[in-house]
Amino acid sequence: MSEKDIKNETDHMEVGKFYFVNNKYDEAVAEFKKVLEVNPNNSEAYYNIGLIYETSNNIDEAKKMYSKALAINPDYKTAREKLNKLIGLGDE
Amino acid sequence: MKKKQFGVVGLGTFGYNVAVELAKKGVQVLALDNDAEIVNKISELVTQALVVDATDEKAVLDAGIADCDSVVIAVGGIETSILATLIVKELKVKSVIVKCTSLWHSKVAAKLGADTVVYPEFEMAKKLVDGIITPNILEQIELSKDHSLAEIVVPKEFVGKTIRNSGIKSGYGLNIIAVRKQIPIVDDDGQTDIKEEVNMVPGADDEIHQGDVLVVVGSKDSLEKFKKVKEVK
Repeated sequence: MSEKDIKNETDHMEVGKFYFVNNKYDEAVAEFKKVLEVNPNNSEAYYNIGLIYETSNNIDEAKKMYSKALAINPDYKTAREKLNKLIGLGDE
Repeated sequence: MKKKQFGVVGLGTFGYNVAVELAKKGVQVLALDNDAEIVNKISELVTQALVVDATDEKAVLDAGIADCDSVVIAVGGIETSILATLIVKELKVKSVIVKCTSLWHSKVAAKLGADTVVYPEFEMAKKLVDGIITPNILEQIELSKDHSLAEIVVPKEFVGKTIRNSGIKSGYGLNIIAVRKQIPIVDDDGQTDIKEEVNMVPGADDEIHQGDVLVVVGSKDSLEKFKKVKEVK
């Protein structure tokens, strides 16, 4: 990945988080998807899209996104916790 | 004040978990089963665990069931459950709760004087089906024959409106008593997360947001009407 790509990836992630925290979910998802266009293995982008779906009570899609984050990074602790909670495994 | 005492007869999956959860609440729990292995397993988690045949009246009496304020009969077989219920009722336990496995089982238990019959498989199946059919209803609790309390994911057509303008009260006759919200957060390290906030006193001019969960009270007819509103997707 070129330095320009890395910068693009970081920039889109930051802008996505800005939209996320300001409740602009459609815009935030669009930014996180741009991150994935630059780097399809960015597990955090999938995780963030999962958070937005969960916030919107779109649980099936949230589970898919957390699963994708975990497929890329099996040690992603918070993604694992979120997915377990949504599946019904609770705090086990 | 004397600690409440509970008895659990039958330590299958249901009974075992009832006994353990009761013990976690800090009450005294007497757990009985005829399987020494399971009794041994639970012995450190409850006040007292004994190997007892639930159909042996003397053994049940000697175990101290009569001293319990409430007893849960959770044995598997219907015949054993009925005999155990009869024995515990004759020992004059104040409250006898019987876990049933069929409608007929629950009718017999009620005839024998069970104070409460529970039918967890049936209740869970009903809840599961409700959740599959109407996924925007997260929870529904019956308050009376005609009224329920429900947690509803706000349908898309109400997003952006105030509670007053949504028509949920005037049009559907539902009272919103609380609103659960998922709040997006980014911490100092840039890590994203969501936290839940509950507004226990929603005002008429509060705006409804996407993903809000409304806790409403109303008649079952009103709730049925509201359930037909197009779901959030």
